[in-house]
Amino acid sequence: MTLRTTYLAASVAIFSGLLVLGWVTHGTGIVKDDPERNIVIPDELTSELQVKAAYDGEKIWFRYRWPVDRPSIFNDVLVYQDGKWETRGGEALGPNPDFLTEDRVAMMIDDGSVPLFGRYGGYITIGDGLTTFTGVPETEEERTKYLPSTRTDPNDFEALKPESDLEMLRAAGQFIDLWQWRSSRSNPIGLGDDGFVAEERGGDAGTGPYTTNWDSATEQPLYMFDPDVAGSAALSIDAVTGGDVGFNDIYYLSADTALPFDPTLAWKNGDTIPRRYLRPATGSRGDVVEPSVARWRNGFWDVTLVRDMDTGNPLDDKIFRDGGSYDLAFAVFRNASTMRWHYVTLPVSLGLEQPAQMVAERIESGTEPDWTQPWTEIKTFYPGQVTWGRLTDARQHPGADRIAQRVPVAVRHTEEQLALYGVQMEFAEEIRRQWIWTLIASLGLIVGLGINVNLLMRRNEEEV
Amino acid sequence: MTRPDTTQARLHTAEKARKDNDMKRSGWMARGSRIGLTSAGILVAATGAALAHGADGGVAVAVEGAPSWSLSPVYHILVAHFPVGLWMTAYLFILIRSFSDSKFAVRVQNAIWPVAALGTLVGFVTYGLGLTIYPWSAITESPLGRNHIMLATWTLSYWTVMSVLGYRFRRHLFEGAQRWITFTLATIGAIVITITGTLGGSLTGTPSLVTKSLSWIGWNVYMTFYLPTWMLAVYVAGALLLIAIGIIGWKRRV
Repeated sequence: MTLRTTYLAASVAIFSGLLVLGWVTHGTGIVKDDPERNIVIPDELTSELQVKAAYDGEKIWFRYRWPVDRPSIFNDVLVYQDGKWETRGGEALGPNPDFLTEDRVAMMIDDGSVPLFGRYGGYITIGDGLTTFTGVPETEEERTKYLPSTRTDPNDFEALKPESDLEMLRAAGQFIDLWQWRSSRSNPIGLGDDGFVAEERGGDAGTGPYTTNWDSATEQPLYMFDPDVAGSAALSIDAVTGGDVGFNDIYYLSADTALPFDPTLAWKNGDTIPRRYLRPATGSRGDVVEPSVARWRNGFWDVTLVRDMDTGNPLDDKIFRDGGSYDLAFAVFRNASTMRWHYVTLPVSLGLEQPAQMVAERIESGTEPDWTQPWTEIKTFYPGQVTWGRLTDARQHPGADRIAQRVPVAVRHTEEQLALYGVQMEFAEEIRRQWIWTLIASLGLIVGLGINVNLLMRRNEEEV
Repeated sequence: MTRPDTTQARLHTAEKARKDNDMKRSGWMARGSRIGLTSAGILVAATGAALAHGADGGVAVAVEGAPSWSLSPVYHILVAHFPVGLWMTAYLFILIRSFSDSKFAVRVQNAIWPVAALGTLVGFVTYGLGLTIYPWSAITESPLGRNHIMLATWTLSYWTVMSVLGYRFRRHLFEGAQRWITFTLATIGAIVITITGTLGGSLTGTPSLVTKSLSWIGWNVYMTFYLPTWMLAVYVAGALLLIAIGIIGWKRRV
């Protein structure tokens, strides 16, 4: 082998080595947590949710089961520290390290009245500039999800239609029924929470299952634990954050477990009281309840919610009818995360004894479900920051024309794919810039190889 | 003094050569016409097929931000099979020639550069058609779109290099140890084509086993392929190093 051929072989080895090195190191250096921009990427991008449904003509039950390594049974708490009560927990960017953000499951329901919900699920409710999105300034009022039809400009949260239009839309069924279950703010007293998504995400008429345990005038809690019931007037923050308080302890405040706050007690640093006081929900908001308090067992939450099929509140709730077909979309909050750090599902069709992805089983009137039917396994995924405005704009989404043609999202994308896209969308500009540089650098490498081999290849006659 | 028989012979030889050239020219022209007609026929058939597949049904809808003009993806999809087929054929021929010195292999060797070059030519057309499908701002927002563009660029530039190499060195590509260099380079080219093709399939919603296999070996194709900044510097340095090695080796002529 001549020296020139040796050079050639070395060049090809260098080129191949750089390709391998590029393969090994690609995709690194950009995607990472950036709390300054409200970006925290979950360790797991997808998970599982199991669901079953049954109805007896009067009531409808939904049973949910999803994996959670460590259950979070507290939400925000008040902690005594040097003479003051400080708030800890509740809302957090990504997972709360102290497990002071409750676990949750939410289910959106539509009966076919909301355009495109059955094809794109919760994506249609994500407008531009919602709370916690990167670059959105913090506002006094939470900017929640909403339906595009409630805005004169679907991408502008502020462009709310007049009240008369909103009432007309509501009467036409253009709202999504929203059931929620919360491990801290509703579960201990056996309740869910009945809400809606229309011009905003809100609660139905009536009162919810919790109120704030805080007297802003005195800057003290309104309630504390009843020592006769709970053993002491407060918990210890170390026990709360360390997971030493469980279902067999009194860990929530309600009429049965609380007393009015007594400031004269000898409070010590670390004393902890829940910042929420639980109470029976009233009105339409109290329609969704639990047959029994849910428990976390063997790594799974197992939750059942039940509601009257016809609540008598057609402007708040989607009415279930025997033989009907509905669209559902779920969200699971796990690992002490809240707000947009949830796992969502693509829309799932529900049939009440009708062919669908999930079939609700008819049971005898007046009986309880025996739950012998198989689970419907549903993939959940972290959605990132993807807005409906972006998805429907052909300048930003190559599939915008498919959406205009009403091609369901599940036809084109899997949950894994959507999770990865969601994460990359949070770094859209940085990734695009790096990709263009990669394109240029790799093209340069190929050109370099081209010049190299053209110079080093030899013809036999050159030898003489 | 001129010898008449020699002059006669020369005239005869010249005449024969002219006739041969004429025959050759007319042969080439006939062959060229046949190729032209066949190509035109294929093009008409392909256009018809593309139009048939591109026909939209249902209700036309306005899309926010849609470009005033774009070409249906079917043209790109249809034409893309030509460079893929031609390049892979070239690779097959290189494979045969790398491992065999048989008459067949040597004969096949003659077709390598024309097939590769034709593939490159159609490759440029395919690349151009691909860029007309979506607005640049949209396709570069899609990780899969970015990856397809990246791999298509690699494929096209790489096989341009291979075509030039094939044209310049022809049979010498397989002389001595150079045949293994040729074989290695062509194998890299075949891998790049395969990945580009499978990404195109994934873009149209039909991911293949290759798509899944790539994730098994470290690249989920739904993640944008980009290099960290330090690696970009390494690539630039690598390109310069390759050029430097080429120049040094060429100057030494050893």
